[in-house]
Amino acid sequence: MIKEIKPTVFVVDDDAAVRDSLRMLLKSVGLPVEVFDSGQGFLDADRDDRPGCLVLDIRMPGMSGLELQVKLNERHSILPIIFITGHGDVPMAVEAMQAGAVDFIQKPFRDQDLLDRINQALEKDAGSRRMLAERNMIRKRLESLTPREKEVLDLVVAGKANKVIAGDLNLSQRTVEIHRARVMEKMEAHSLAHLVRMVLEVARAEE
Amino acid sequence: MPRREYQSLLDSAVDAIIIIDHRGHIEQFNRAAERIFGYAATEVLGRNVSLLMPAPYHAAHDGYMDRYQSTGQARIIGIGREVRALRKDGTEFPCDLAVGEVQGSVPPRFIGFIRDITQRKRADELLRRSESELRLAQGLANLGNYVAHGDGSEPDYCSTQLRRILGVDTAEERTPVTELLRRRVHPDDRAKLDEAFANLDAEPAEFDIEYRIMLADGTTRYLHHVARLAHDESGRLLKHVGTIHDLTERRQSEDEARQLQDRLTQFSRLSTMGEMAAGLAHEINQPLSAIATYAQACLRFVRSPDRDDTDVLQALEQINAQALRAGEIIRRLRNFVRNREVKRETVECSRLLDDLRTLAETDARLQNVRLNVEVEADLPTVNADPIQLQQVILNLVRNAIDAMADCPQSRREVVLTARQLPEGEIEFIVADHGSGLAPEAAEHLFNPFFTTKAGGTGLGLAISRSIVRAHGGRLWHTPNEGTGARFHFTLPAATASTGE
Repeated sequence: MIKEIKPTVFVVDDDAAVRDSLRMLLKSVGLPVEVFDSGQGFLDADRDDRPGCLVLDIRMPGMSGLELQVKLNERHSILPIIFITGHGDVPMAVEAMQAGAVDFIQKPFRDQDLLDRINQALEKDAGSRRMLAERNMIRKRLESLTPREKEVLDLVVAGKANKVIAGDLNLSQRTVEIHRARVMEKMEAHSLAHLVRMVLEVARAEE
Repeated sequence: MPRREYQSLLDSAVDAIIIIDHRGHIEQFNRAAERIFGYAATEVLGRNVSLLMPAPYHAAHDGYMDRYQSTGQARIIGIGREVRALRKDGTEFPCDLAVGEVQGSVPPRFIGFIRDITQRKRADELLRRSESELRLAQGLANLGNYVAHGDGSEPDYCSTQLRRILGVDTAEERTPVTELLRRRVHPDDRAKLDEAFANLDAEPAEFDIEYRIMLADGTTRYLHHVARLAHDESGRLLKHVGTIHDLTERRQSEDEARQLQDRLTQFSRLSTMGEMAAGLAHEINQPLSAIATYAQACLRFVRSPDRDDTDVLQALEQINAQALRAGEIIRRLRNFVRNREVKRETVECSRLLDDLRTLAETDARLQNVRLNVEVEADLPTVNADPIQLQQVILNLVRNAIDAMADCPQSRREVVLTARQLPEGEIEFIVADHGSGLAPEAAEHLFNPFFTTKAGGTGLGLAISRSIVRAHGGRLWHTPNEGTGARFHFTLPAATASTGE
C-alpha cells in the first residue's frame, strides 16, 4: 500500500497580508500549508483531490470564494471548505453552507478557533477519504465477480434462500451454494450482514 | 398818454394786466387777461377781482384790501409772488403775480400783472422728475456717475448714488472725485487705479477697470469703473466723465454661491463615504485581521522550544507594515471627507490615482468587480484640487461598478485609463461593460437629483461635472466598445514645467 500523502491546508486569499499571516500561523503549528492568490490559481494547480482542507476568502475580485466552491463541486471535489468572511457577509456564508461548506469564520478571528475548525475539517476529510477508499475497494471486488456470481449476489442481498435462488436461476441448489461461497470469498465478506452492508453502501453512493 | 395808445399798450402786453379800484372792482382787463382767464372784459368789468381767485385767496382778498386801506401797508406790492388763479371754466393755474399801486390816484387803484406759468411749472416738474428717476435708477443699479474738472475750473459733479457708494461725508463735499477714489482704494489695487488715471492722458483716453475700495467703517466694496475724457463741441478738452458700478453684492453672491457649491461637494463626499461604509470597514478589517493572525503566529513561534527567530522577525515586520497600512487607509479616508478649503496644487496623476485606489477598490471588491488602472507613463502634472479630482473619479468608478450589478462574472471589469491627448490635455476614462445608458437616463444624467439608484442622491454626476468645469475641463460620455458606457473627462496640463 502507498504511503498516504500528508494532509495539507490550502489557503486561497487575494489579500497578500492575510494570506501570508495564515501561512505563518499554520506553519507555527506545524501544518503543511500551500497558499494561492486566486481561485483560478488553485484550480490550475490541481490540488483539489489531495487530502487536506481549503481555507477560502469568500470575497475576492475575479472568481469569488463562492464561485470557486461551485467549480470544485462540479469537479466532485470532497475537499472540506472553511470560509473566511468579513462583517456583514452572513447571507453569503449561509449560501456557502448550503452548498456544502463545513464552516465559516469571521475576520478577525482567534487563532484557536480557526485551528479547531481546520482540525475538524481535516478529520472530516480523512473520514471521507477512508469511506471513498472503501467504496472503491468494494467496487473493485464487485467487478471481479462473474455475471453468474453477480446474479446470485443480487438475489442473496434481496434476502432469498438458496433453494429459491436455484429455482429462479434454474440451477441446482448445490451450484448456487458454490457460487455463493465464491461471492463471499471474492467480496471478503465476514458474514451475510457484512456482504449486504457493502453492496448497499455502493448502491447508495451511486444513487 | 392818449386813451387809445394807452389801451393798445395794455392789449399788446403778453401778461394779463388788470387794474382795480380801492374796493377791488375791476376797471381794466386787457386782451391777455381775456385769453388767460377765458372771460371777455365786458363780463368782469366792475366785478370784484376775487372772482379770479380760487379758495383760499378768494375769501382772504377783501381782508387784504381793508388792511391796506387802514394801514397803508400792502404785503404784496412791489414783490412778485407765485399764486394760483381761477379761470372762467373753473380750472386753476399757477401764475406769477406782481402788484403795483397806481401813483397819484385817490382813492388808490392797483395794477396787477399776471403771467401764466403752467408751462414753466410743467417743465420744472419734468426736470425734477427726471432727476429723481435718474437718482432712483442709479440707486437701483448701484451705479453712480461723476464729472471731474481736472483744472479746478468748477467743482466736480458727483451723483447722489456715487456719494453713497463712496461713503462721502460732508467734510469731503468739495473734494475732487479722483482724490475721493485715491483715498479709498484698497492698497493692493492702488497701482491699478493710478495707472488707469495716468492712461487717461494718452489715447484712447479711457479705461474700464475693477478694483476694491475700503470705507471708513472697514467694509470692502468691489467697483467697476469706466471713464473717458470728454470734449466740448469745438473739440476742446473739457473734463473727464465716468460711471462707477458697485459690484459688491454681485461679488458677494458669487462668493456665497461658490461656498454653497463647496458645501454641497463636501456633503456629496460624506454621503459617498456613508454608502461605502461597509466596504471601508472590510478594507480596514483586512490589515487588522492580518495583524491578529501574525501576532498569534508570533506567540506560537516564541513559545515553541525549537523556535526560529527569522519567523518571529518576519511576523513582527509584517505586523508593523499592516498597522501602517490600516493607518494609511484611515488617513486617505479622513483626507477625503475632511471639511477643508478648496485649494489648487500641482498634482501628479499617477500619485493621485494611487491614493484613490484604496477607496475605489473597496467597492470593486465588495461587488466582485476587477478594477484595472492603466496610467500612461510620464503624464504631465495638473493644477487641481486633488481631493475633488478623486471625488470625480471615485464617483465615476462607483457608477461603473453599480452599472454591472447584473453582469456575468466574465464581464465584471472597470478600466480606469489616464493618458495625454495630442493637444496636451490629460484625459481620464472610466469604462464599464454594463448595459449602457438608456436614452432617457442619458438625457437627464447631469441633472441634480436625477438618479437610477435606490438611495442615490442624484448629485454625483452633477457635482463631478461642475468640479471638472471649475478645473477648466470637460466631462462627457460615449458608448463603450461592445457594451457598457465610457465616461471621459479632461484636465488641462499644468503650464509650469516642474523641474525638467
